[in-house]
Amino acid sequence: MKETTKEQRIRARMQPGAITLTGFIGKDKRSLGSIINADEQELNKLGRNAEEIAARMQYFSDASFNTFDGSITLDENYLVETEITRGRIPCPYADGGQHRKAITKLTNLKKNKSVSWTALNIHLIKEHHFFEGKGSTFRVEPSVLVEVLFD
Amino acid sequence: MFSIVLKDVGILSAIALVLSVIMVIAQRWLSNYGECKIDINGKREVTVTGGNSLLSSLTEKQIFLPSACGGRGSCGACKCKVVSGGGPLLPTEKPFLSKEELLAGDIRLSCQVKVKSDVKIELPASIFNIRKYHATISEIVDYTYDIKGLTFSFDEGETVDFLAGQYVQLNTEPYEKVKERVSRAYSISSKPEINNALQLIIRYVPEGICTTWVHRHLKVGDKVTLTGPYGDFYLRDTDADIIFVAGGSGKAPIKSILEHLMEVGTNRKMTYFFGARTPKDLYLTEEFKAMEQIFPDFKYEPVLSAATPEDNWQGKTGFVMPYFPQAIRDPKNTEAYLCGSPGMINAVTKALMENGIPKDKIYYDSFG
Amino acid sequence: MDISAFILFWAAIFTSNILLTNFLGMCSYLSVSKEIESSFGLGISVMFVLTITTGLNWLVYNFLLVPFGIVYLQFIVFIIVIAAFVQLLELILERYAPALYYTLGIFLPLITVNCAIFGVSLFMVIRNYNFIQSIAFGAGSGIGWMLAILMLAAIRRKLKEKLVPAGLQGVGISLIVTGIMALAFVGFSGIVQVQ
Repeated sequence: MKETTKEQRIRARMQPGAITLTGFIGKDKRSLGSIINADEQELNKLGRNAEEIAARMQYFSDASFNTFDGSITLDENYLVETEITRGRIPCPYADGGQHRKAITKLTNLKKNKSVSWTALNIHLIKEHHFFEGKGSTFRVEPSVLVEVLFD
Repeated sequence: MFSIVLKDVGILSAIALVLSVIMVIAQRWLSNYGECKIDINGKREVTVTGGNSLLSSLTEKQIFLPSACGGRGSCGACKCKVVSGGGPLLPTEKPFLSKEELLAGDIRLSCQVKVKSDVKIELPASIFNIRKYHATISEIVDYTYDIKGLTFSFDEGETVDFLAGQYVQLNTEPYEKVKERVSRAYSISSKPEINNALQLIIRYVPEGICTTWVHRHLKVGDKVTLTGPYGDFYLRDTDADIIFVAGGSGKAPIKSILEHLMEVGTNRKMTYFFGARTPKDLYLTEEFKAMEQIFPDFKYEPVLSAATPEDNWQGKTGFVMPYFPQAIRDPKNTEAYLCGSPGMINAVTKALMENGIPKDKIYYDSFG
Repeated sequence: MDISAFILFWAAIFTSNILLTNFLGMCSYLSVSKEIESSFGLGISVMFVLTITTGLNWLVYNFLLVPFGIVYLQFIVFIIVIAAFVQLLELILERYAPALYYTLGIFLPLITVNCAIFGVSLFMVIRNYNFIQSIAFGAGSGIGWMLAILMLAAIRRKLKEKLVPAGLQGVGISLIVTGIMALAFVGFSGIVQVQ
């Protein structure tokens, strides 16, 4: 599917070196629309939607964010650790948001599995249903997210 | 035959030439805005060539507004008050302005405003002290596995005037796939008494454009530029007791403050809590411990929150907050200087206030 | 060609719509028709550029190419003229109408390579239009193109809420819609004959 100029500009900001060092696309050759569609279909199969996943991620990030050293154990079997660095990062969709440079690592102690995401990931999933391209450093697989985030 | 081809080519070239000339003239005439005056706070006036952005026009005149994206309109850091001559608010600016700023109508992104006529702007007075420095890297020290200290020596004749605790912006050069220059803020870790060089403590951030450049590409002898100083986190000149709290690379401004105090001498009672997770996150421990001998009343307390038995850690453990009461003599006469993540600052501020330290005496530099 | 400029103007909008009967300018038509606002912006720009460049190219053709006998170079010359004009327009807009520049500015480079613009200049030559006819034909075609993209954008907005088979989403369904629109427009074609 051919991309609109708007999508091309967004894609340009997702390239390595534009906003982050290695970009948001990774080795993915598909168009933005196809990446988003494919992940949405996978979410459908898993019986979840992007908004509820983003809300759950936000819940964990916020909880660890407000602690002294960024780590907290929640609901007995979730260990959340957030690492924050100075500065803010814009969203490649250029919707005006400035996001914290924060990486949250969530470990589901019961399943003994963990997943990491950034503050920008939450925004991208919530507002743009974008989980990033395959091979991108901060791509979060919907299936892994669903497994770790929920009981 | 040959002459026909020559004639046709000639005419085609002539058409192209005429069009190019029209374009060049148009560009000269349409994009020439002549000399424009920028009136700053009604006190200072600079004359610039019109047609460029307000941000770059000011930079040209050695007035440096903070900017992280280098004028591409993606960071929103270069906001400034444009009283008149800025033209209409552009769609590229709107997303970065808050509701109050949109309502006020005169706050603009200086990288998006083009100087096409005389402009009147207002800037905070501290901006004028901000300059651009050309420097050579004279020393790189590894403090931990992911933290480096870099010393930047200024070119002949350049000196910096800053308050202990302030920060500067380091400007990157394009490298590998990074084609744009970016600027990132780092606290100055050296004392203000050294004015021909400064030191920054920079922690490696995965995927960070600037920190990757610093950690993987910069070497001693490289030339870089810095702008600054910025920030309202600096040591207040009083006699009050002091509690310092730092986490991670938040050590930098406190190091600057303590070295400055060593230089000027002080009798203030000071306690420095450094919160970290494991012993491998500690650095400059000997240096700060040694200061206990130099100051009449100073204690350095590293506190580890995630030390394992194998670490064999003898010092304080847990969070720093429970140790505050023993460091506070008279809460009303105590200042606190904090530097670290927003979560740490919130937790520490809350604990300090519970211990009776007035809110307006808690100064902090937050990462968030 | 003996046809009144007035009739030609209306004919270019409806009976021989440049997009729906000649299928020219499809690329930006398909890619920008996602939102009505941008379609409108692009439509206005195309209309404006089309009217002026057709006139310019008429002058260049009749006063330069024909007298010097280099009609065979018309393709190159027309494209240079269009490109130069679009550049000039960008400069003028930036100087005198910054607000308009920020709405239309991003579309202008797209227009340089829009084949509808080039196509209209070529039709004008093939059909031997005089200057007034060319301007009328250019303006009409521009409005016709805008009409077509606005219709598609409106339909696509409705389509967003409809269930479209996965394989047809996006360009696929747009082309089908365009085909149906073209059928409807062919119905007008008996009214006036301009070809």
